[in-house]
Amino acid sequence: MNKTADYVIIGGGVIGCSIAYNLAKKGAKNIVLIEKKYLTSGATGRCGAGVRMQFGTETNCLLAKNSIEMFENLEEELGYQDSIEFKQGGYLLLAYTEKMVEQFHKNLGVQHKLGIPSRWVTPEESKEIVPHLNTQGLLGATFCGKDGHCNPFKTTDAYAKAAERLGVEIMTYTEVKQLLAQDGRITGVETDKGVIETPVVVLCAGSYSRDLAATIDIDLPITPERHQILVTEPVEMMQGPMVMSFYHGLYCQQVPHGSFVMGLGDPNEPKEYNFNGSWQFLHEMAAKATFLLPPLANLRVVRQWAGLYDLTPDRQQILGSVPGFEGVHLAAGFSGHGFMIAPMTGKLMAEHILGEETSLPISMFDFSRFARGELFVEPSVV
Amino acid sequence: MRIKKHPILEFKTGKIVKFTFDGRELEGHEGETIAAALHAAGIRTMRESGHLHRPRGLFCNIGNCSSCLMVVNGEPNVRVCVERLREGMNVETQKGKGELK
Amino acid sequence: MRQIEIAIVGGGPAGLAAALNASKLGAQVILIDRNDYLGGQLIKQTHRFFGSKQQRASERGIDIALELANEVMANEKIEVLTEATALGHYEDGVLLVEQAGKIMAIKPERFIVATGGAEKTLLFPNNDLPGVYGAGAVQTLVNVFGVKPGKRVLMVGAGNIGVIVSYQLLQAGVEVAAIIEGAPRIGAYWVHAAKVVRAGVPIYTRHTILRAEGEGEVKGAVIAQLDDNWQPIPGTEREIEADVICLSVGLTPLTELLWQAGCQMTFVPELGGNVPFRNEQLETSVPGLYVAGDVSGIEEASAAMMEGALAGINAAASLGYTSDTLTADRQNVLDQLAGLRSGPVGEKIRKGLAQCSL
Repeated sequence: MNKTADYVIIGGGVIGCSIAYNLAKKGAKNIVLIEKKYLTSGATGRCGAGVRMQFGTETNCLLAKNSIEMFENLEEELGYQDSIEFKQGGYLLLAYTEKMVEQFHKNLGVQHKLGIPSRWVTPEESKEIVPHLNTQGLLGATFCGKDGHCNPFKTTDAYAKAAERLGVEIMTYTEVKQLLAQDGRITGVETDKGVIETPVVVLCAGSYSRDLAATIDIDLPITPERHQILVTEPVEMMQGPMVMSFYHGLYCQQVPHGSFVMGLGDPNEPKEYNFNGSWQFLHEMAAKATFLLPPLANLRVVRQWAGLYDLTPDRQQILGSVPGFEGVHLAAGFSGHGFMIAPMTGKLMAEHILGEETSLPISMFDFSRFARGELFVEPSVV
Repeated sequence: MRIKKHPILEFKTGKIVKFTFDGRELEGHEGETIAAALHAAGIRTMRESGHLHRPRGLFCNIGNCSSCLMVVNGEPNVRVCVERLREGMNVETQKGKGELK
Repeated sequence: MRQIEIAIVGGGPAGLAAALNASKLGAQVILIDRNDYLGGQLIKQTHRFFGSKQQRASERGIDIALELANEVMANEKIEVLTEATALGHYEDGVLLVEQAGKIMAIKPERFIVATGGAEKTLLFPNNDLPGVYGAGAVQTLVNVFGVKPGKRVLMVGAGNIGVIVSYQLLQAGVEVAAIIEGAPRIGAYWVHAAKVVRAGVPIYTRHTILRAEGEGEVKGAVIAQLDDNWQPIPGTEREIEADVICLSVGLTPLTELLWQAGCQMTFVPELGGNVPFRNEQLETSVPGLYVAGDVSGIEEASAAMMEGALAGINAAASLGYTSDTLTADRQNVLDQLAGLRSGPVGEKIRKGLAQCSL
């Protein structure tokens, strides 16, 4: 099976499907999306799928705010018959140290300038928002009611189906073995099912982007880092917002089905392709979640799993081209917050690939920032 | 409905205890399962399903299938096929997914 | 962290036999079961077993359960954890167990999974109504608790379990309206089938259930005859009055722990569903993880006890334990297993096992 394409997108997560849809919507033709397993089989299908505007840098706030506005109308935009289960119950970000309080107030300043409806709440107000919250040691929190949670499988499915209706060809269970290039220019990709000749490759394969870029001697500073999540049995709705504590490195959300989905950030997680859950996580997660949200102690855990953050040195995504190399575009290294900015990222990447002016500036996310030493640090991530 | 006489089995039962089912006072044997005590009293409907509000009863009776979830002493999602009956238990039909308190 | 030589999950016939045989060779064992008793599903089996004397033929499951459980409880090399749930077996070899709200990390040198099987269900309208039970569920209700599920039963499936449970329902004073069976022949041993037929229960082969009837609870069922392609023949529908529908349509292995532990699995219909690949030692693709009983493929309790014995012997022997009769003991179990699986009765099992050997 040898063929040609105008655009080859590598990676069938939410980012790849969003880029494919946006490219096709802008009239680009002959687009092929390649996924080595099934759509959402990588980081997208394993993520916590929280969606928030409450970031600490203006660029991320804008990316997220625009994306949330797009999530609000996504079913209509994509002609999706099903629901992406967007629940806007808000995010409650907890502050436990004076330093955090200071940082959160700084963040609120940035957010308010951009019209994000976030606010400072006292421990008492926090308890009104989440009545089962243990406020011991809590100094306060920020809350934004527009934040929330989506179903990552259905969101990706919505993008993929809309892309296919616009003519995008999606090849699942097809693995890219290497990128093909000549004289600093992309010529195609070699898959386990044959070669696809193409002048343009979009790399959005999460951590695997690093390995694929290496096949044409591009050294992406992306490290896979395991992160773990568990899900409980469902109960009737009782928690509106995502509760997030950078102090405990924890987030916990009740999804519309009634289950609680929660995860922990652990600096000791292995930095390799390891998808195995650990018993230490189950133990620690249970201890921390039941301290913060005591009634959850009566819930059974039904499943735990692991996924990979595609971590960059500044925990920020790499968006844009590769200087001195024609036909390679990058949308990788999202470092754990890719899902929530996928709608806007897809649009910006499509504009960038087609040589248009982007709706928001993306130059601060470019690949060369690492060589320039201009790291772009986001203070508010788990 | 209890078996009065059996050709090969003798049933060793615990002492008679009282419990309530949806506010009704019933009797059962201590240590038998809540499901067995309810069946002995002729009650086979244990919960209402979440989406279509259909009645559900016992299916596997050994703690595998989650068909018989009820609210026991205020706690939802109790598998009454393996939960033992104790004096004074408050057993309620579970509607939907159950409320965590 | 608890260190132990052998951990066994599942205190049914396979797990009990594994614990006894491993400890007999000298190994220290922890036996974990989620119930508050040992014996698994043996405790509801009031019929006499078939087979040879060594396989405890003509004994009742309920008596075997009691005897094995007592022997295990009295054995100081075996520590028993009841009301304990095995949560997972992790890549560092740790087995996580929950008991009374506390989490325990146990690191066994060998791990035997004997979690058994679960009853399958059947698709038909109203199959979720109260009054539709697995046959095993009714067996537990009647034989363990002495409580009747209703007044009149339609049994779906004429394999051994369907026919034996029908007979036990009759013993308990419950009426059995009929036994229906999709296949053209009764699957149960004739000794069992003859008893229910003599009691006046009709067995309709080549019949299926079309739907359960009733508002709120089962009041009856509609059954129909099947053609040679397993399709209902129009015009053959008939109503059966019954307030209980028992499904005896087979079991499937309870393999969650094996999937989670990373065992290589394969779908083998002859063994009831997804089963682990295993070598002749009953060791899976995860080194040191053994399987025994229904979790490795649905068979009868006698086979589960034999497999348990084998897994127990092999796990202990792999730790260096031995005895003068080790080779002979192991061969004896293997011979008995081969005997159980011989002839036309064992053909399906033999065909199944051939598909999951490492």
